[in-house]
Amino acid sequence: MSIVLIGINHKSAPVEVRELLAFSESACSEGLRTLVDGDVVREGLIVSTCNRVEVLAETAAERLGDTLERVNHFLTRTDSVPRSFFESHVYQHTDDEAVRHLFRVTSSLDSMVVGEPQVLGQVRRAYSIALEAGTAGRILNRLVHHAFRVAKRVRTETGIGANAVSISYMAVELGKKIFNSLEGHTALLIGAGEMAELSARHLVKAGVSRVLLANRTAERAQNLAGELGGETIQFDELPRHLAEADIIICSTAAEEYVITEQMARESLARRRNRPSFFIDISVPRNIDPAVGKIRNVFVFDIDDLESVISSNIREREREAERAELIVESEIMQFQQTLRVLDIGPTIGALRNKLQGIARSELTRQRNRLGPLTAEQEAAIEALLVSTVNKISHPLLSHMRRSSDSSDAEAIQAWRDIFGLEE
Amino acid sequence: MRSLLLAVLAAYVVSAIHAVLAFLNKRRALQRVSEWAMGAGFALHTAALIADWAIDGHYPLFYPRETLSFLAWTLVAAYALVLYRYGARPLGAVTMPLVSLLTFIAVIIRPATSDRAEASSLAASWLFPVHTTLLLFAYGAFFVVFLASIMYLLQERELKLKTFSAIFHRLPSLTMVNEIATSSAAIGLTLLTVGIATGMVWASSRDGRLWHNDPKEIFAALTWLLYLLLILYRSSASWRGSKAAWMGVAGFALVLLTFFGARLMGGYHVFG
Repeated sequence: MSIVLIGINHKSAPVEVRELLAFSESACSEGLRTLVDGDVVREGLIVSTCNRVEVLAETAAERLGDTLERVNHFLTRTDSVPRSFFESHVYQHTDDEAVRHLFRVTSSLDSMVVGEPQVLGQVRRAYSIALEAGTAGRILNRLVHHAFRVAKRVRTETGIGANAVSISYMAVELGKKIFNSLEGHTALLIGAGEMAELSARHLVKAGVSRVLLANRTAERAQNLAGELGGETIQFDELPRHLAEADIIICSTAAEEYVITEQMARESLARRRNRPSFFIDISVPRNIDPAVGKIRNVFVFDIDDLESVISSNIREREREAERAELIVESEIMQFQQTLRVLDIGPTIGALRNKLQGIARSELTRQRNRLGPLTAEQEAAIEALLVSTVNKISHPLLSHMRRSSDSSDAEAIQAWRDIFGLEE
Repeated sequence: MRSLLLAVLAAYVVSAIHAVLAFLNKRRALQRVSEWAMGAGFALHTAALIADWAIDGHYPLFYPRETLSFLAWTLVAAYALVLYRYGARPLGAVTMPLVSLLTFIAVIIRPATSDRAEASSLAASWLFPVHTTLLLFAYGAFFVVFLASIMYLLQERELKLKTFSAIFHRLPSLTMVNEIATSSAAIGLTLLTVGIATGMVWASSRDGRLWHNDPKEIFAALTWLLYLLLILYRSSASWRGSKAAWMGVAGFALVLLTFFGARLMGGYHVFG
């Protein structure tokens, strides 16, 4: 069997090209039914996200050429643009290369920002569409599940996704670094800009139990409070509420400091020194830089966040090198799985072996039979071979069934019993 | 019991190596090996201590060799408790190598053959094991305070400077190390108090004096005072951050002086 992966991604093609090839979910399942004809292409899967459009297909080894042609034709199907237009953007991988590519995609090594895990969910979705369309069979099932396992291994064994690379996740990550768990903690949003809102959503998802909102226009604050399950407070009540908040996100358009050193000190005293974490994503800054010098108060302004993010990205790239090693070792494991799943060679080897035994027995005993006509000789040989075939028939069909149900252990057992490893 | 202690050392070394690798690589499997090896080492170590006690006839906390071995044992116990209560694995990357080192020294020190009579005469009172054991466990607790304080200071510094080193992300959160330091200090102070008290009772039963102006006593008193201040300071607000952490570091320096320094200056406390 052969595995083929053909597609374009954010590295190989600009968005104008990617959008021409993108599939909607319904187009995916429809497309899969056209692509997978059971003859040339036996199994198929389409991953279509804003960063990539990829077709994964499985075929018989001898139909590889036809498959490449068919998938290429299918992918660049659009009528409005000639196929040659895509040629320089499309990459095409077969067998181990295709497996490697898929493993790298699910492990987020091929993502725009290395380590961002969204792509895993997108591949999961693509897989369930293929399952519904009935185009994911036993090989792709194995392959995709293996890819999910690789992704999990990479995630737990390397720090590839460990450090936040966006401001909104940074709030969660640093919050956890300071408070251990965000549960039972309170966040205060001063100003309800888009970035503050996104951060607040992440914080709530990470367990923050109470959200306070202060905004100059009460309406916007009220809307957001409704969505996040938070409470609005008056802007001039800030000093009173500051002490209640563990995480404070500032993003107002104010020209002067919204949080002064005096306010921070008073709040800290009311908090009995419990640490507080300020994030200032406004320019000009809303928090007096002097606040950051107070003990047990941690202030990050927009530049601090950006510089931590860029160092985190570098750290992720270092971790990615370790992830690549994991991918390589997993490719080797998958090859083994494939060898077992690919039942054709096993059955062929077994049949040859049994027939070989019959023939060599015949040669050994031949001289006892005395002179025979050519017809008789052929009859004896045919007798032996058909006996062997009749006896082995239930065995072989059982092996095929094990293979269909992807029972790798049973297949390996057959190979062991008959000594087919060499 | 040297061969048993060698087996203990082997287990601790395996645990230490895996703890350090687990800290660097963040691999769960390595951490598991480390914890199993530590558990095996601890069980063997406990057996070795009991065997020593039974064979030598005195509580195995008299000669330097015994004391170091016992100290290693208490450190493992302290770390295991922290691990159980807080899951603070990074502590192991420091504790287990130190434990291995202490055990190694205990293995190579020649067992003292003289003073056997003195050993059994001093060790005859039931107060001796209580006094020494309590104090060693107190030292174990203060070691945990020290480690947690260092971790606090490192991370606080990086949070203030906004540049994070590779180990920053591997250390437990500020809140957690603060909690570990606070509760370990409280436990350590309790053990130290009772330990010193039993020492006084024991001393007075021997020669009628509670206090001998012995360097070890003086340092122990200072240590006690410092940790008392630390506890009071911490409990006066729910969080004291870096100042309290510095006290945790200074306190441990005093502990080391009490443990090793006093020995060099001689005095009433003749043994380790």
